[in-house]
Parts: sequence; C-alpha cells; structure tokens
Amino acid sequence: MALASLLLLVMLTIYSVLKAVDNWQWKVAVICIGILSWFLYKDRYKHPVIWLVLFTVLLIDLYFDYFTVANHHFMFVLMVGAVISYNYHQRKDILFINIQWLLVLVIAASVLQKLMSPQFMSGDFYYFMMNRGFLFQSFMNVVPGSVEIINSNDDLFASLKKSDPNLGLTITFRDVVPNLGVICQVFAWTTIAMELLVASALLLKPKKTWTHLLLILMIIGILCTRIETGFMALLAICGLMLSEKGFLKGIYVIIITGCILLIATRIGMH
Amino acid sequence: MPNPFRERLLKFGIPGLAVILIAIQFYNAHTQNLSKWKGGGYGMYTELHYIYNQVHIVNVSVDSLQKHNPSIKKAIHKVKLMPNRTNLQEAGEHILKITNKDSIHIQLWKPQVRFKQQSYTRVLMDELFLKATDF
Repeated sequence: MALASLLLLVMLTIYSVLKAVDNWQWKVAVICIGILSWFLYKDRYKHPVIWLVLFTVLLIDLYFDYFTVANHHFMFVLMVGAVISYNYHQRKDILFINIQWLLVLVIAASVLQKLMSPQFMSGDFYYFMMNRGFLFQSFMNVVPGSVEIINSNDDLFASLKKSDPNLGLTITFRDVVPNLGVICQVFAWTTIAMELLVASALLLKPKKTWTHLLLILMIIGILCTRIETGFMALLAICGLMLSEKGFLKGIYVIIITGCILLIATRIGMH
Repeated sequence: MPNPFRERLLKFGIPGLAVILIAIQFYNAHTQNLSKWKGGGYGMYTELHYIYNQVHIVNVSVDSLQKHNPSIKKAIHKVKLMPNRTNLQEAGEHILKITNKDSIHIQLWKPQVRFKQQSYTRVLMDELFLKATDF
C-alpha cells in the first residue's frame, strides 16, 4: 500500500506541475497556506499536508474547468480522496473496497457509454481513428504502405476542413489495411467484451490472480492502441493496491514507472 | 463497537461520489449534448472528439474571429464541447455584440463517418439567423 501511495504521490506531483499554469493564482494561495501551516501548526505530523495541498489543487482545477479537465483528473480526485481518508481511518479493508468499487464503476460506465454510442457500436469510430493513424501508431510503420495512405487521408481531411460545409462535400478514405470495416466492428465488440469481463472480475473476485492478469492485459492493450499513459498509470496503481502477489505487484510497478517516465518526458499523455 | 453509519460512509462514500460524477456526466451527455470525452470522460473513445464539431458563420471567417478575440474562441469552444441550441445562441449573440454586425447566420456542423461507404462528411445539426435588433 505504501508503494502504491508513493507512486500515486509522484504521479500527482508531476500532473500538478504540468497543470500548474491553469488557475495559478488560486494554486499559489493554497500552496502558501500549506507551507505556512506546515511551519506554524504544531500537530502537523498528524495530517498529510502534502496530500491535502495537492488534493485542493486538483479541486481548484475541477471547480473552474469541470467540463474541460482530462478524464483521469476525476480519477485522481477520487483516488487521492480515498488515500487521504485512509490516512485517518488506517483501515486497509476500507481502502481496498474504495479502490475496488472505483475501478468497477469507471470501467462499467465506460462500457455503458460505448453500448449507447451508435458511432462506436457500428465500428465507424474506430474506422475514422484507424484511417487517420490515431490508433496503433507505433505499429503502423510495419504495415506496408500504411503511412502513405494515412498521409493521403490527412490531406483529404485538411482540404475538406477548409471548405464551406454548405457545399456538402464528402471525402472517401483509403483504408490502411484491407477489410478495415469488419476489423473495426470486431475490435469494437472485443473492446466491450474485454472491459465487461474486467469489470465483472474486479467486482466478484478482486483478489484472484486471473482478475489482475485480465486487468493488466486490458491496460497493456489500451497502451498499445493509444498512449493514454495518465489514465492507465492510475488504473495500474489501483491494481497495485488490490493485488497481493509479488509478481503481479512487479508488473504493475513496471507499467506505472513506464507511464510516469513517458508522462514526465511528454511522450505520453498526462 | 464501530458505528455502522460511519463504517458505511467510509466504505461507500468515495464510490458514491464516483456514482454522482458518472450520473452528472451521463445526464449532461444525453440531455445537453456534452461531449462524452469530457465531464469525467467515461465515454472517451466512444465517438469522434468534439474538436471535429464545426461552427460556421456564413460569409465570416471563424478562424480569423477566434484568432483575434479570445472571448469568441472560448464561446466557440463551448459550442463544440456542448453543441446545443443554448450554447449556439449564446455564442452567436456574443459574436454579434463583439463584431458590431447587423446580423449573422451561424451554423453548427457535426462529423459523420460511414465505414460502409468509406466516407467522412459534415451534417448540419443546428443553425440560427440572428439580428442585432433581436435583443
């Protein structure tokens, strides 16, 4: 638990630094109050001052930019809230339930939104993303001709974007791989099945090795599809908090460390 | 003896907060047209990103307006993020006020992808004809 909290604190610090410019006046005030309270408050060791300061910084961005902050900003708020709460109640079983339910709810909500999206269910969303080269970027170079096709689709898209929409122009994409439409439909359903399986496993058997292997597989699968390092690192920290076996913890730590490095170097998304 | 209410609050307080946040996002996404990518992002990668929504003003360069006026840029961003009649009206009125025009014809276009036709196009979602004398 200590290692997971430490990694969460490292991620939170990097995230706060990267977002320092937003609403900075309020953040400076909160950080000053935090520093002053550390020096002036005699019971300072009883309270997690750093966590409380960074939590307040998160809440400031959430208040002012509720509809524009990243999705993992919400996850950060909930996870940090659970860790601060743990600092006071010191009950591992309660922190476990907090994190388990957070994971289940977030993944289940994602499944529900996918099921309710005709664009996702039809495969049209993945079709657009693949033909624009937004998915599997690292692997596209090995597919013969794919880079040229993506560039040509980009040119078509740019010319359409410049045109007056009232002209009713339509562009025809060239597919990066044959039978892309069918592949996208299968991929859409596989995504839903995988997320549903992980959410169910976490709900019913959160400590089982296979549950964590499924979660790890999902995290790695998403990272291969797109470098969503911020959110995946948080999911892996949740996994680390829930896992009991050494080798699972090791895998989670490798994923988290890799994601943190990618975020810090700005290669990944924060 | 542990207090049962405190126990429940500690166990389900944080997940309960998550449920509230998810409910707010679902409500806004399905009634106010909030992009599923935002407000918690529980629907990221379920539809095209909201940057592909397009605000078009007939005979006016929106890019140029946005470039020279941050408040217009903010208003247009809001329309793209939550494309509904209220936000379109607000943005249109704001643009009319800032540019001192007599009238504008503002349109909201959404992207449409069809893999069966291998096509991408834009479809008109809403439009407004606003006159400076209307308000």
